[in-house]
Amino acid sequence: MKKILVMTGEVLKNQAKGPVTKHVLKRLEENPAPEDIRTIPIIIEDRCILCGTCVAVCPTHCLEMEKDDKDNGMIIMHTPQCMWCGHCQTYCPKDAIHIDRNPATSVLFSYNVRQDYSILTAKGSFKGEKADKKIEEKVAKGGKKLEELEKFRSGK
Amino acid sequence: MVEETFRSRFRTEVDGSDAPPGADYHMFIGPQHPWCEEPAHFIIHLKGERVVEANIRIGFNFRGMEKAMEARTWRQNTMLIPRACGICSAVHQNIYVRVVERLAGIEDQISERARLIRMFSCEAERIHSHMLWYGILAHDAGFDTMLHISWRDREIIMDIVEDLSGNRVNPALMLPGGVKRDIPKEKADRTRPKINDLIKKVEYHKKVFVEEASIRNRLEDVGVLTKDDAKKTTPNGPTGRASGLPFDVRKASPYELYDQLDWNLVYYTEGDILATTLVRLDETLESLRMCNQILDKLETAEGELLARVRPRIPAGEYFGRGEAPRGEDVHYGIANGTDKPERYKIRAPSLGNIDATLKRMDGEYIADMPVVLRSYDPCFSCTNRVMIVNDTTGEKLIIGQDEFAHKAIKAKKYNRPFF
Amino acid sequence: MSNELKELEDILKITFSKDLVKEVKKVEEGHFDILTTPDKAYDLMKILTEEAGIYHLSTVTAVEREKEFNVFYHIQHRIEEEFREVPINFIVTGINKDKPKTPSLLDFFVAADYYERECYDFFGIYFENHPFMQRLILPEKWPDDVRPMLKEYGWEELKEITLGIAKQISEND
Repeated sequence: MKKILVMTGEVLKNQAKGPVTKHVLKRLEENPAPEDIRTIPIIIEDRCILCGTCVAVCPTHCLEMEKDDKDNGMIIMHTPQCMWCGHCQTYCPKDAIHIDRNPATSVLFSYNVRQDYSILTAKGSFKGEKADKKIEEKVAKGGKKLEELEKFRSGK
Repeated sequence: MVEETFRSRFRTEVDGSDAPPGADYHMFIGPQHPWCEEPAHFIIHLKGERVVEANIRIGFNFRGMEKAMEARTWRQNTMLIPRACGICSAVHQNIYVRVVERLAGIEDQISERARLIRMFSCEAERIHSHMLWYGILAHDAGFDTMLHISWRDREIIMDIVEDLSGNRVNPALMLPGGVKRDIPKEKADRTRPKINDLIKKVEYHKKVFVEEASIRNRLEDVGVLTKDDAKKTTPNGPTGRASGLPFDVRKASPYELYDQLDWNLVYYTEGDILATTLVRLDETLESLRMCNQILDKLETAEGELLARVRPRIPAGEYFGRGEAPRGEDVHYGIANGTDKPERYKIRAPSLGNIDATLKRMDGEYIADMPVVLRSYDPCFSCTNRVMIVNDTTGEKLIIGQDEFAHKAIKAKKYNRPFF
Repeated sequence: MSNELKELEDILKITFSKDLVKEVKKVEEGHFDILTTPDKAYDLMKILTEEAGIYHLSTVTAVEREKEFNVFYHIQHRIEEEFREVPINFIVTGINKDKPKTPSLLDFFVAADYYERECYDFFGIYFENHPFMQRLILPEKWPDDVRPMLKEYGWEELKEITLGIAKQISEND
């Protein structure tokens, strides 16, 4: 059976309510992001044994590991490349990785930073200056993506 | 033998020699067009206001997933495979993990609880995909009120998905061997009233589509695909079910625990756009009721969430199927004993539905074109998922479009046909 | 006669002539593989579509083996009264790797048109009697002899080819 103006009630109701965006801050407060939202991984340094499992399973190749031997080494993450899948956490044999739940520190707000490298863990002789130097080198280079883009553009 | 009228609509000659004899106007839509958010090139031959024949060209959005999968390990691919499609990511992952489990021979070790959570993820995805679709359909028909209402209510299910998985669109809950996250009791209790609320709202949406004259006149008896035509052009999913082909993989060959739930197969025989809409609306309601059943079952279901799967998958091959929101989704995986797949084939549902949809257009008014083309839920990341190329996809894509732009400009300049 | 062949014949309600079918395998309950060769594929599919009434083709997969190509036609036998589907993998084996050729089954399925062209695009398998054996997905400038899904082409090579095309076009501007 065909009628017209079936949605009148709904439309009038919305008309009376006024714009939704007016109360957007209040609504955000009422509906916070879930506490187990997905964000970037963080490594607990005491537990990490630098086995390299997280580097091997990472689908986006955003983790890089450099190490001399069992005790000396570091894991770097190219943060914007991480897609928060949590594979590293699932497959870590020592439960050393936990997912950072604080949205303020997450990559959520740093998508535009292409050169965003961070140290996940640095152990033994890599701790301190050496790690900082490595990161600086990486940042100076401008990251993987930027490097390839530059190569493509200069070739033209 | 297949008659000439049923030839595939994927055939387009570059020199334009394939235009049907009766046509006097040719309309080109895409690859970039405000109507169609996704890149496909439709070529519509018109006689006056009526469509004589509609053709399509694809290939503007390929990302090389099948080749990329051969270069990655089975474990890494678990997170690559949901990217095959933006909206139906869970069902792709679901089929993938079932293929891997079958190849690894650990099918029996998957607990009931893990299977229920997987099903919940798939059904939630079907709900939000269908709600999105009929919103856009109403928008294409010029009924924007429905778009806003349905998308507003869709936020409820999006919140549920975000609460349970941590992501809004791409839940990525599944792993070979089980699932990543549990649905604890508090979350289930929080979810149930939302689902009951949504059932009422979807029933209201259905009422609008059935009763409101301004939208119903636009959809009824438009783009009719008869059952015989449907059998020849092999549509799948809701497109087929609207034309009286009552096949749904969940019923046809039940996977996970779909045979233990109480649900009805929805199908209509009219074959017009209203029927495809009603199939999806009814399916949304069925899925919502299934979600409630799954939450009830989760209270008593027990078991380990994740069984161990070795990184090396023994040699073998398996053909997995699943029902995506758009239709039948097909994967074929071949393992060779290493930790990387030998070959992995994906056929997403949209590709199979295009022929049937373009068949619908024959003899219709050009004004009905947006509604008809929307009816199969176009998704070109599904359609072109195959090919090469990794990081440089962006560049390549742009160049393809450039070529098109050049051609279009030339065509306009010299006042000649596009090709 | 093997048990699997008999079971499949019971479901389809037909009898196969023995020389057409190379082998029938049962994957799981209600899921079969039929193996055949390129010269017999057309006749066998004719029996399946005309006598058993199969009309649904899910997809066509091409697979590169060590010494040959295989082409899989994933077809469904549909039993409408029971809402049931019996998936059948129709496998054409023993396609020569030097000159890959197999008959096109376009006469039975409209959908075979683009699925077969996809295989031609990515593997270079030529489907005989197909009236429109042209490129489906790869770009127009792609070199004709490069079939990217073959194992001989690695990731880096394909990347180079793609970048080469990109450069060539941007230079022409």
